[in-house]
Amino acid sequence: MRLSPREHARLRRKARMRHELSGWAFLTPMFACFVVFLVVPVLGTVWWSTRFGGLIGGTRFVGFDNFTRLIDLVGAPQAIWNTVVFAGSSVPLILIGALGIALLLARLEKGGAVYRFLVYFPVLVPGVVAALIWLFLTNSDFGLFNTVLRAVGLQPVTWLATDTALGVLVALDVWRNVGYWAMFFVAAIIGLPGEIYQAAELDGASPLARFRYLTLPMLRRIIFFAVVVSTIWAFQVFDTAIVLTRGGPAGATTTVVYRVWQYVFGSNNKVGYASAISLVMIVAILALTIVQMRMLRSRRGGD
Amino acid sequence: MAAIAESTETTGRAALKGLAVDHARARLRARRRRELSRHVALGLISFMLVAPFYYVVLASLKDSNAIFQYPPQLVPWPPYWGNYANVLSHTNFLRWMFNTLFVATTVTVLKIFLDSMAGYALAKIDFTGRKAVFLLMLILLMVPGGALIVPLWSLIHSFGLIDTYFALILPPLANPLGAILMRQFILGLPRDLENAARLDGLNEFQIYWRIVLPLIKPALVVLAVILFTDQFMSFIWPLIATTSDDLIVLTVGVASLRAHGGVDYGLWSASAVMSLVPIAVLFFILQRQFLARSLAGALKQ
Repeated sequence: MRLSPREHARLRRKARMRHELSGWAFLTPMFACFVVFLVVPVLGTVWWSTRFGGLIGGTRFVGFDNFTRLIDLVGAPQAIWNTVVFAGSSVPLILIGALGIALLLARLEKGGAVYRFLVYFPVLVPGVVAALIWLFLTNSDFGLFNTVLRAVGLQPVTWLATDTALGVLVALDVWRNVGYWAMFFVAAIIGLPGEIYQAAELDGASPLARFRYLTLPMLRRIIFFAVVVSTIWAFQVFDTAIVLTRGGPAGATTTVVYRVWQYVFGSNNKVGYASAISLVMIVAILALTIVQMRMLRSRRGGD
Repeated sequence: MAAIAESTETTGRAALKGLAVDHARARLRARRRRELSRHVALGLISFMLVAPFYYVVLASLKDSNAIFQYPPQLVPWPPYWGNYANVLSHTNFLRWMFNTLFVATTVTVLKIFLDSMAGYALAKIDFTGRKAVFLLMLILLMVPGGALIVPLWSLIHSFGLIDTYFALILPPLANPLGAILMRQFILGLPRDLENAARLDGLNEFQIYWRIVLPLIKPALVVLAVILFTDQFMSFIWPLIATTSDDLIVLTVGVASLRAHGGVDYGLWSASAVMSLVPIAVLFFILQRQFLARSLAGALKQ
């Protein structure tokens, strides 16, 4: 049986309609949540960032004032600076540590499962609980760090002082995240072609040379991905800071998200500032995400 | 090599064979030495990463005098269980734990269905706007919850849902990671399968339910682990979305011990140890899926 052109077109339209209907039917439950609880709040941040007032009660339009005042606002530049320093030091430490652990794990012949288990365990600890645990490490009197220092005959240190607290927060973050990225890198290293390494070994390349000229270049994009994602995560540091140091001493560990939270729930009429500073962070993260997407796309050769 | 060539000339085959055996032995020895040094390094690193847990478990088994004792007792004997009793009697700990498990389970179950359905649509059905939707999800994937608390609070407030379970459960459903992952997995399924199913007269929903879901079961388990642990750890949104003690989740409750309770190291250590129990149990059962969590990011590519 042959279909007339008109019949054919009608059937095609019908199939098209069916695709449209079933496609959106499957997508809508998730997409509706996505729009209401993510897209709308992102746009909402833009709206709030131009308002002056509190969460409940009236607000008025102030244009860009919140952004220009951000610079003079007590604590805002400090919070941004703290967050940048935090991310700038925790990200390299985490990724270098993770890469080292991954290289050891990937070449291991036996017993890898035990180490993977142990290395990954801190990853599963919620930030709040991790901070609680670190109170027992950093306590001046009975903390693990000072106990070890005393045992080897060194002077105990006040770990959560103004100039050390941010460093402790970085160390906590390294402890909590190094296992995550180590597992990520192990999978990437195991996936590298083995023949190249055998060839290099026959040519007499030292382990260091093999790492420098083979592993590192082949992992370049994977590492770039890890840098972007872990930087974005580091920007959001909050729960460890609120429990371990409560943002102090003297604001030394007050981060951007901490400041946002304080503006909203600690004092009145600063919701606009909170949104302005949030928007700065969102834009920074979107920019990183888009750079990331471009990089990944270019690898596929203009796919 | 020069040494080998020389020896061939002077002493012949036997010597060459001996040298080769020596060489192989030396290589084996070097390999063993390298393996051993890896074990030493990894053992040290693991020890450093795990020591904090040991130290806090130790502290939780000491009374308030023994905690401050120097040098510290490395094995507190007899163990002091009072700190755990205090957590159970002086705080709402079990209720916090229940809330966390209830919210995390509900979010995980709902997301499994929402995300696999959305992933199926994005991977296999050709509808208008598919590409735009996917791109929007990718772009907003990394937007942090912490930056959205103001509009999210006012939104939930306008629904009249602040300080309810709905406030805890609804916003996490927006996270696009699951749908993106599911799309990736479903794209990898062979097309023949669904074509055959379609010829057999199955409709889209039957294909999703009877063909696709069973095939992506391993991916669903990984997704469940990601969702559950993320929810277990979430803090800032539950902190501001709920206020009554009956509704706060574990992370918020534990943080409140530090914020309001005064200094009580016994209470802190015992509650920290107890908080880790559920996720540790899950980790023992689902190790493989947990380790795959790290790959979720990579799968996005």
